[in-house]
Amino acid sequence: MTPTGLRRTLSLLPLLILSLPVTAELSRLGDEVLSGISGQGGIYLSGDISINEVGGPVENSYFGRCDDASKKCGARFAYRLKEDGGWMVLDEIRGNFAFEGLTLRVRNVDSGFAGDGDLFNRDVIELGLPNTVRFNDVQFKIAGSSTARPTDPGFQQTDIFSVEMQGEVMMEGNLLVFPAGNP
Amino acid sequence: MTDLCTRSYRDTCHGLVGLLAFLLAPLFSNVSHAELLGLSETEMSEVDGAGIGLVLENFKFSHGTDEPDAAGNQARIFRIGGIKSTDGRDVDITVNHLYISGAGSNYGQNLGSVNLGRLINPWRIDLVDGNSIGIADKAVLEFAASSMVNSGDGYDCLSTAASAGSGTCSSRPATADYIGERADIGMQMNVAVGDDRSANINIHAKSAVIDGSYLRLWGDDNRRQMVGQFKLNFYSPELSVNACAQDGSRCGSRILMSDFALELAIGNQLQPVFFDVDGSGNFVVEVAAIRRPQPGEIGADGLRGSSNAEAWDFYDSYYTSPEFRSNLSIGNFSVGDRDFGSARVQGMLIQHLNIKTRDLGQ
Repeated sequence: MTPTGLRRTLSLLPLLILSLPVTAELSRLGDEVLSGISGQGGIYLSGDISINEVGGPVENSYFGRCDDASKKCGARFAYRLKEDGGWMVLDEIRGNFAFEGLTLRVRNVDSGFAGDGDLFNRDVIELGLPNTVRFNDVQFKIAGSSTARPTDPGFQQTDIFSVEMQGEVMMEGNLLVFPAGNP
Repeated sequence: MTDLCTRSYRDTCHGLVGLLAFLLAPLFSNVSHAELLGLSETEMSEVDGAGIGLVLENFKFSHGTDEPDAAGNQARIFRIGGIKSTDGRDVDITVNHLYISGAGSNYGQNLGSVNLGRLINPWRIDLVDGNSIGIADKAVLEFAASSMVNSGDGYDCLSTAASAGSGTCSSRPATADYIGERADIGMQMNVAVGDDRSANINIHAKSAVIDGSYLRLWGDDNRRQMVGQFKLNFYSPELSVNACAQDGSRCGSRILMSDFALELAIGNQLQPVFFDVDGSGNFVVEVAAIRRPQPGEIGADGLRGSSNAEAWDFYDSYYTSPEFRSNLSIGNFSVGDRDFGSARVQGMLIQHLNIKTRDLGQ
């Protein structure tokens, strides 16, 4: 064998070794075996959510883009507590929040919780909190308003307080959700 | 049952539907081995609409600018603004640190994990049949923390070393091998009035329990308005308030309230709390006064025998039910090294309440 031929054979060797694991034939699973297998898995979510970062879809005399100082650019959510009454408003909602590693899965709890797990012994939906959530200029206002829309006639609004959040928030743990009857 | 096939093509159509069903049947038959059984009327009446149970496991929450980040800059901001002082200056509350942690956090210095709610007595979001909680013929939306239990099954609400059978709280204190269901909660904030940023106020509650608290919401037919009932139970073996210099180097005396127990009831079944926004955009919370008895409804001697029984029972339940009363008790109140002893407000009934926000700018 020429040196070149030998080198070629040697270079093929790793390929042969690598191919070994797949030589086993796939065998069928019987109905009985298959019925014992349940789908196990979950969802891993990463998110980056922006609300009206540059402005909302509505542009009129009141709402506009965020670079226009004379206009409001946040979202507005109004709800009424009484027939023909005023409106409770979540106003100027805007900002961006991002998280990585929110998990969602179904889990059977049958131990732990200082004895409660054993008594409980059921499935729960587990929402794994993402450890940190990054807030970027998240803000909103709680207000009371005389009309649903700020462009309606007779609009009058009293801002009760506003909240502004920025930076990383630590949020660790799991939220377990399950059906609960009336005690 | 309506027929999917039109009259003119009925035969062909029925044939096609039959063929389709015949072809599809083997596909589904593997899955549906078990036959569905009908429920009898008796069985159906036992089925109860269940709510959602929530439990937070190994939970830890922290936010604020208390510690600088890795790069050394304090980028985290949690600000509550838009409030004005009576003389018209802006009040701006910067929350330096807000935390929910496991027991033994040393005022938020060492954050640990905690469970909130118990699997066998979770926090709940539920649509409750009003008849079962004294609100006749209404579906009531209820947000509730773990409910109170019989004193034989529960734990003392205040003691951090409570054992089973010592009280009515369901949440358990932390032990050597379990993180417990009682959280350390605290908030450090800087309250700025105008340009004056000197006030730093810290509030910390150790091993806090809110068992038995709930918010119930429903609609009132007569006033066509959202009404509610709010109960806040808050127990902590140590609630403290102190003020520090802005850089945190010097702190004033700590106001310490040991064995703090608050049972606040705003609104009840007979006298719910109304929520509204008035025409000028101000938020109104109102507990209407209880209705006066009609002439002759209550006898001159005030006894049940000489009164309208239904009316007498109504007022009797209103004035005697301990559920409707608010209580506050503080085991010991101390400032620095001075003890002021215990304080107690017992059996307070809110008979009329009207809170309205007012815009100082107008």
